[in-house]
Amino acid sequence: MFRKSLRTALPAGLALAAWLGLGGGFPRPVARLISYDQLSPDGEACEPSAPTVGSLMAAELPLRNILMQTRIALDAAWTPFDASQRKPERTIRDPYAAYSAVAVDSNHDEVVMTDENLFNIWVYDRNVKTSPGKTSEPKRIIGGLNTKIEFQCGLYIDPVNGDIYAVNNDTIDTLVIFSRKAVGDVKPDRELHTPHGTFGIAVDEEKQELFLTVQHDSAIVVYKKSAQGTEAPLRVVQGDRTGLADPHGMALDNKRGLLYVTNHGSSHSVRENPSPRRRREGSPGFPLTRDDAVPGSGKIGPPSITVYPRDAQGDVSALRTIQGPRTQMNWPTGLALDEDRNEIFVANDGGNSVLVFDANASGDVAPLRVIRGPASAVSNPTGIFLDKKNNELWVANFGNHTSAVYRPDANGDAAPLRVVRSAPPNQPVPGLGNPHPIAYDSKREQLLVPN
Amino acid sequence: MLGRTMHGIAYDSLHDEFTVPQQFGQAILTYRGAANGEEKPARVIIGPHTGLDAPEHLDVDPVHNEIFVPTRYGAILVFPRGSAGDVAPIRTIQGPNTMITGDAPIAVDPVNDLLIVGGSAGRGQVRLLIFNRTDSGDVKPKAVIGGPRSHLYSFGGPFAVLPAKGEILVSVRGPGPYAELSSDEAFVGVWSIKDNGDVPPKWTIGGPHGVLRMPRGIALDVKNKNMMVSDKRLNAVLTFHFPEIF
Repeated sequence: MFRKSLRTALPAGLALAAWLGLGGGFPRPVARLISYDQLSPDGEACEPSAPTVGSLMAAELPLRNILMQTRIALDAAWTPFDASQRKPERTIRDPYAAYSAVAVDSNHDEVVMTDENLFNIWVYDRNVKTSPGKTSEPKRIIGGLNTKIEFQCGLYIDPVNGDIYAVNNDTIDTLVIFSRKAVGDVKPDRELHTPHGTFGIAVDEEKQELFLTVQHDSAIVVYKKSAQGTEAPLRVVQGDRTGLADPHGMALDNKRGLLYVTNHGSSHSVRENPSPRRRREGSPGFPLTRDDAVPGSGKIGPPSITVYPRDAQGDVSALRTIQGPRTQMNWPTGLALDEDRNEIFVANDGGNSVLVFDANASGDVAPLRVIRGPASAVSNPTGIFLDKKNNELWVANFGNHTSAVYRPDANGDAAPLRVVRSAPPNQPVPGLGNPHPIAYDSKREQLLVPN
Repeated sequence: MLGRTMHGIAYDSLHDEFTVPQQFGQAILTYRGAANGEEKPARVIIGPHTGLDAPEHLDVDPVHNEIFVPTRYGAILVFPRGSAGDVAPIRTIQGPNTMITGDAPIAVDPVNDLLIVGGSAGRGQVRLLIFNRTDSGDVKPKAVIGGPRSHLYSFGGPFAVLPAKGEILVSVRGPGPYAELSSDEAFVGVWSIKDNGDVPPKWTIGGPHGVLRMPRGIALDVKNKNMMVSDKRLNAVLTFHFPEIF
């Protein structure tokens, strides 16, 4: 039993328990701190050897007290010490797919989506018909523990053979590649060990190079497109001059030899640490990692789109940066490019919008067009794909169980041409995506869940 | 100012605030408890004097007004709760005697004056290091819980303490062929702050061989005697009624 003298100044709201101490002759009242949070109304929230008077809050909830006493009687029948098979009383979980990235296989008239909730890759007919009030019927699903599919955020479809390249974010450091015929819980046809926290993907088919953004290290890694296993990157873009800051989506302009990157805005400097206390990340050719972070160098800046030469390497300066309040960017995530119209399309997650910029834009510029509003169905968009063959713009909405199709010149609160949906309309969306820490707000009786 | 990668959060019921680390921006952000939408934090700790490198975890001591932040370079930094800007830590626990391996979950027990820090004990083994709350410098932990009987394979995420009962709740990732993704051996275990050595958990909940696949963070609703746990593989938050520990 721990005993603590009452301090001269305790913060308001501390729960105290007082009892009569018998040591030293006369009984004397002492107090000890037993909790700084609201206690159970049954008064049993401290060890039974302490004769507590009760918490300050105990008398406030008589009805709850009765319910609690009933529950305690039921609890008494439970087997002590082993609660391994106990079922949860409540579970917050979305039973439907939450689409995170989208890409079209125009050779086979299929559309492919990653799903950060049920951990599947979903393949639909590009023109799948979805009845009102129903869900869309997939042609194939890839998913299960053998697939190594988890929180997948980037997607690329090989234009020649339909291979599916799907990027895992920060729970599995593996890029998985499936043939277009893969179905069910199958092993990937190819795997590539990647730096921790990859997000976006782009492929230069002409040079057969594969680009990945790395959130945690504010870097871009470039591999041979055919790379597998622990093969090292060909080159890395990283450093203070690059302006990379929690990079996400990517798009290549092969006509002009440019690389576009969306950045959420947070970054820090890295310097090679020759003797980290314990290096947990990194492989030959990888970017410097969090083990090489310069303490105290962090910055939280505004989001941006940075533009580089396609063959950029090392600590290169961006050719241009689109950034500022007029851009409306708020967690800009997925990115697509129309080389003919010279426009870039941004899935603007935090702004619930799709932003379209002149690809030559620089600085604090307004978008040319914005798709946003209740009719548009744009809700926390994270993935975007421009289907040039069919002149359609696809948007994966993490926030409402849909991927929606628009004309590329859509503007304002434009209704989608059609929608692929994983859930019946208006189903609740918990919005969970890799919940890690949680906290309980005892004042409001609410759970705080960062994702 | 929030990032999409947050691995720690602490709600301070005395001051009605919550605090989160900003890993990429090397910052500690504190918001009012009722914060909603695009709200700025009430306070931000950031800058060259902070020593923050890639803060993933933290805990707040609302009684003694301190924030504890582990670093990847093996230090525990302690900041005044109300501080903001480019402030230096008021004390640091760091050094070979501490056995701190860096950037593991952390929990402070302001009632029993303890600090519980996660540490690595080699491949497939972790341990709980228990310090005095006010420790500073290269100090030895006063107790170490870990070993094969403890079944502390790997930490799933931030753990919790229940000061009134002197309990530590830890989410434990299990081994197995798919350990990176999911394990049937995963569980939440309960240890005592008085434990020391290779001690098995006093309680296990949600596993082994239970509903949990990859448990992460833990939160406690003391009033209703509930334990909440997030699970990566289930992509869910589960609430267990667990009166035995309260």
